[in-house]
Formats: sequence, C-alpha cells, structure tokens
Amino acid sequence: MPIDEHALGELLVESQDLQSDAMRTSRESLDAMVELGHERRAQGGFDPDEGDHVANERRRLMRMSLLGTGALATTGLGAALLGVMSRPAFADEALDVQMLQTSASLENLAVSTYDKALGLDFIGGGGANPTVRAFVLKTKEQHAEHAAAFNAAATRLKGKPQTGPDPILQKAVDRALTPTPTAPGPVVALAIDLEMGAAQTYQNNVAALSDPQARSLTASIMGVEAQHVSILLAVKALVEANQPDLIALDPGNVAKLPEAAGTVGIPDAFGKTEKSRPAEEGALA
Amino acid sequence: MRRRPTSPIQISERELTALTRDLDEMHRATLPVMHDAVAEWKEDLRSRSEQPEPEALTTSRRRFLVGTGAVFSGLLLAACGSTDDDGEETGGRKQGSATEAVRPLTGDFAIAALAASIENLAVNTYQAGLEAATAGRLGEVPPAVAAFAKTAQQHHGDHAGAWNQVLTNGRRHTVTGVDRTVKGNVDPAFAQVNDVAGLARLALELEKVAAATYLKSISAIKNNGALKVAASIQPVEMQHAAILHFALGEYPVPDSFAKEDGARSATDQIG
Repeated sequence: MPIDEHALGELLVESQDLQSDAMRTSRESLDAMVELGHERRAQGGFDPDEGDHVANERRRLMRMSLLGTGALATTGLGAALLGVMSRPAFADEALDVQMLQTSASLENLAVSTYDKALGLDFIGGGGANPTVRAFVLKTKEQHAEHAAAFNAAATRLKGKPQTGPDPILQKAVDRALTPTPTAPGPVVALAIDLEMGAAQTYQNNVAALSDPQARSLTASIMGVEAQHVSILLAVKALVEANQPDLIALDPGNVAKLPEAAGTVGIPDAFGKTEKSRPAEEGALA
Repeated sequence: MRRRPTSPIQISERELTALTRDLDEMHRATLPVMHDAVAEWKEDLRSRSEQPEPEALTTSRRRFLVGTGAVFSGLLLAACGSTDDDGEETGGRKQGSATEAVRPLTGDFAIAALAASIENLAVNTYQAGLEAATAGRLGEVPPAVAAFAKTAQQHHGDHAGAWNQVLTNGRRHTVTGVDRTVKGNVDPAFAQVNDVAGLARLALELEKVAAATYLKSISAIKNNGALKVAASIQPVEMQHAAILHFALGEYPVPDSFAKEDGARSATDQIG
C-alpha cells in the first residue's frame, strides 16, 4: 500500500493543531471551574470533608456522562478527564449546576404535561373526577414551585436557569400523548412515570450534590414527588378497578376502600434509583 | 378541595388485589438497594480504619447532634460537643451492656441509632394499634387501614434493620429500644385513641416526625452510604404520610416542600 508521506505529514500537523485547540479549550474550562472553586472556598461555602462525602458519587455520575457521549471513551482522554473532573476543585459547582438544571427540566416537563392533561375533558373538564382535577391542578403548581427553586439554586451557583423540559423525556411524553388519550388510565400512568423519574433522580442527586443548600433543597422535594407517586398509584388502581368514585377526600370513604388500596401506594420499603435521570440530561450547554 | 358524595360499593377487589399481588416481592426487591448503601458505609469505615472524625463539624451537623430539645427538654441527655482521645465526640450514648470492643454512639452512628429508635417506636405503635383493632377497641376497622398498618409496620421494621446493620458494621450495639423522648408524647396520645381515625392521626404524626428527622439528618450525615440510606427512607415515610392524609379525608400532599418541623435530634433518650 503506497503512502503519501507529504499528505501524512499534513495530517499529523493538522492532528496536532486539533489536539492543541482541544487542550486549550479544555484548559480554559478547567481554569474557569477551578476559579469557581477558589471563589467558593474563599466565601467559606465548602466543607473539605464533603470532598470524601460526594466524590465517589460525582465520579460515578461523570462516568455515566462521559460514557454516554461515546466520543471520549475510546481515546483515553475520557479517563484522564474523568480523573480531573472528579476533583472537588473542578466538579463541585459544575456538576451541581448540571444536576439542578436537569432537575428544573424535569419540573418544567411535569408542569407542561399536567397542563396538557388539564386540557382533556376527563382530567380537567366537566367529565373529570373533581378530586383528580384538584390534585392535578395542585400538583402542577407544586412542580412550578420546584422548578423555580431549582433554578434559583442553579443561579446562586453561577449557572443559568433552565426553562425548558428534559429533552429525552419530552419525546416520551409526546409519544404517550399521541394520539390523544381518551381515558384517564394512560394519562395517570404517564404522570406516575414522570413523578417516579423525578423522585428517583432527586434521591440519587442527594448523595452526589456537593453544595449543602442544593442538597437540602433536593431532599425537601424528593419526598413530595414520592407522595405524588403514591396518590397516583392509588388513583390508577381505582380507575383500573372501575371505581373512580372512591377517589374522594371524605373521611368516611376509607371504610369503602378495598384492602389492597391500603398498600398499592406504598410499594417499596426503600426508595429506588433505577429510573433516575443522568445528571447532564437536562443541563444547559 | 370539594368532597364528593359517597356511593354504594361496587368494588372489584380482585382486580385491585391483582395490582398488588406481587407487593411483597417488590418490597423484597428494594432491599438490595439498601444493602448496597449499607455495604458502602461498611467499606468506607474499613478504608478509614476507624479514623477519628474531623473536629470541625458543620453547623447543621452540630445542630442535629445537639438539637434544641425545646419540646422534650426534661428528658434530654448531655449534649455532644467535645472530642475525646479517639477523636470522637463525647457525650454519646452506650447502648445495652457496652463492652470494651463496642464504641459509643457519636457522629453518624448517633444519627443511625436515633433513626433506629424512631423506627422501633413506629413498629411498636403500629403493633399496638393492630392489637387494639383486633381486640375491638377501635370499632370497625376497614380492611384498607389494616393492610396499610401491616405494610407500614413492615417497612419500619426494615428501616430499623438497615440502621442496625450499619451500627453492627461499625462495631456498635444494635438499637432495640425506642426513642423514649417521642414515646413520652405517643403514650398519652395512644391512650386516648378509641377509633380508626384517632389511630391514623397518631400514626400520621409519627410518620411526619420520622420524615422530618431524615430530612434534617441529610444535612448532617457525612458518610455517603449513610446518606443514601437516609435518602432512600425519607420518601417512604412521606408516602406513608400521604396515604394517611388520604385515609383521613385530607389533601394528601399538602406541602410543596418537605419540612424539618418536628425533627428529632440525636440527644433524644433511647431505651
């Protein structure tokens, strides 16, 4: 096989230039992140003990992110970058902001999905169970509050507020709502999926966030999403049992509920994380 | 929220029961998650070779370990604070008949012990409620309420088991007693319970205390494995509370953000 040495030389020069550009870009990003870390420490906002506390979790999340891109995995640069990014100086705000933006994106998607659901007669119209309608309205409001809180936290850490939805789950929602459902069951099932995804993502993030305030905020929201899951599971069960009338806020109602209604909303002794979303999924570039 | 008039029951219980047929299996399926978190803690302990905890505790951690004790001040033990020769905070409790091989409960272990004691109290309270129901002291008990109580009790038993596993891994005694500080309020309240609604109200208060304590502990725990255990339990206590609200005819998710109100501190008396 003949080799054009001149062409090969040009390719090598071009390759070196590309590498230099990439390294310069990476170095600038790293410098910016390190500077952020310095500023934060200067403000007394970092507990050195928390480096151990969250380092493993951050490393795991970053590994997921890097492998998710595929591009770095084969070059060896991914491993090196992983090592650098796992250091607290680099990763504390950067990954925290990513997680907070992704959290906001999940909340934004929940708001828009519940909004669409309320446009359906059997959820938000005259044909709806009034308790279900009130629950959807209130839950939508709560998700809007969560989105605002996550964005405020991201902004405090010098990130941008995320006003859009999680792009991956948005596609899943679009598929679930096309064609438009004609009964509550599929809509409730979709809501359960979104709420579970949010609750599990936040549970996962609690162990990975380095910023104490962001961690406390996330912890204060994960249980609320889990409560949404509980009620939706009970609603789903009663809808599927063709007993929507039992979905009511009436102290006397409990006597009429079947035995299984007491357990369907509390299926697990420990929260799971298998449906948690990747840290960067809803992050802004 | 507007209440809806009730209608005669035409429940298809078989259909609904089918949805929860595998409940127990699902419940068991979650245990490996907890075991992983506990194992992570054990591994962390091993790698640190029982190194002393840092003297500089964060404000939230110190606040959690000391607590305000405003409600139950008469029953508090001495507050944690200084550091002993082993680098551990003094003022911690020794559980049971402590031997030289078993170390006192400080730091994350104090939080684990507190959590176990609250879980034990929940187990005992649900048990007392079920026994009262069986004895006919609560009137007619709806099957959904009985099923909920049994399942919630099982969850709390599992939670206590998780924390005790953590303690055992750290060469501490397991906690078989209850949070006596909280029990001091539960006992007189339980004595006045004479119907299902009263029992549900008491259970709701306990669940809220547990959830608030876990939420507060998340700001104080240093070990990542312990943090995961707490984070995996807090949402479950919140779910228990939601179902109890619903059973009482109340809005099930009243707060947009979980609260720390009513959280217990590691200074509570355990026994």
